[in-house]
Amino acid sequence: MSCEHVERDLDTYLDNELDAATAMDVRGHLNECAACHRRVAEREALGRLVRAAPYYSAPDRLRARVLAQTTRARSVRRLLTWAAAAVLFVSLGGGMSLWRSAVTHGDAMPDEVVDSHVRSLMASHLFDVESTDQHTVKPWFLGKLDFSPPVADLASIGFPLVGGRLDYIGGRPVAALVYQRQRHTINVFVSPVLNDVVTRANVQSLRGFHIHHWVHDRMSFWAVSDLNEAELTEFCKALEAS
Amino acid sequence: MPLRAFEETVLPHLDAAFNYARWLTKNSAEAEDVVQDACVRAMRFLSSMRDDDARAWLFAIVRNTFYSRVSRRANMAEAIPLDSAKDARPDVALDPEERLLQQHTVALVRAALEQLPVDFREVIVLREFEGLSYKEIAAVVRVPIGTVMSRLARGRERLMAVLKLTAPMETLR
Repeated sequence: MSCEHVERDLDTYLDNELDAATAMDVRGHLNECAACHRRVAEREALGRLVRAAPYYSAPDRLRARVLAQTTRARSVRRLLTWAAAAVLFVSLGGGMSLWRSAVTHGDAMPDEVVDSHVRSLMASHLFDVESTDQHTVKPWFLGKLDFSPPVADLASIGFPLVGGRLDYIGGRPVAALVYQRQRHTINVFVSPVLNDVVTRANVQSLRGFHIHHWVHDRMSFWAVSDLNEAELTEFCKALEAS
Repeated sequence: MPLRAFEETVLPHLDAAFNYARWLTKNSAEAEDVVQDACVRAMRFLSSMRDDDARAWLFAIVRNTFYSRVSRRANMAEAIPLDSAKDARPDVALDPEERLLQQHTVALVRAALEQLPVDFREVIVLREFEGLSYKEIAAVVRVPIGTVMSRLARGRERLMAVLKLTAPMETLR
């Protein structure tokens, strides 16, 4: 291999982009030719120098701005989802007290509701007060909460009340009422609605659980269970009517 | 979910995207704007990304963003004032005199790189800093591999010529 060839292949050789056979030829030449050897060494030194130039990392504020963008894009999408759902609701005449939403709820509540439900089942901390008697469960919350949750027993239609518990959802204390349907547990989280939100009912599935949410008489209800959707709907309607 | 995909595949390359943009624009504020715009585009075109080439894909978007801004404001790229190099990583193992020499050298290299025409500068940055292959660089810059080779060679020749005039000779050995 001639000096001209080596000079031509200098960069591809140093960048490891030369095929193996040609690279071997270059190496062979470098062992014999001091001038080319010097040239390669110089080029390697240049590479080291260049890599010593500043590597500019993204400033934190840029990272924050980009993250804010994705969050914004997400909330815009949520808004569109809700708008689409609202249109659907109106177009159905609003005759249904519950409507189905295949999409995610706009805030973190469904996640927290499922988390609390799962926690209550796993930690064997289903009740603070174990009783099938609504007249025992309801007073138990007195002094523990600044509101009085409506407690109904639906044993007559196959959803016996089994107890109650104090829980925290959305950073606030809530009353957790526990109902049973055969071997399925239903957690109902009740808390007062702070402002006059529009009553809207919503059904969704999250991580394999069904969630119903509605507002009634200034109280917010979140029912969550692995019970099948039809029976949970029946339960929620009965609870709302009680 | 596309937005989660964005956070998982694009955000890890934010430093690389910024470094590339910073060398393209030679200006920190400008580079931030380019990267932010590029991320908006990236979010929009996320479906066009193949799983394995998120970084090169992002570089291409950064580059397109940069050039569409340049064409909107002609000659902007060369009219931007230079920032001071804040991010040079000093080698703590060096004694003060050597460190001074090194800082001096880093400043010289940086100035020499910034003096290069942007076509040469970007291939050197993608090759030396990001370790992209010729093929990947060709995809980002949208030129044939042969052009990548000749730009790298000519860019390095120019760099060498400038540095031989300014840098302490021993740093080139």
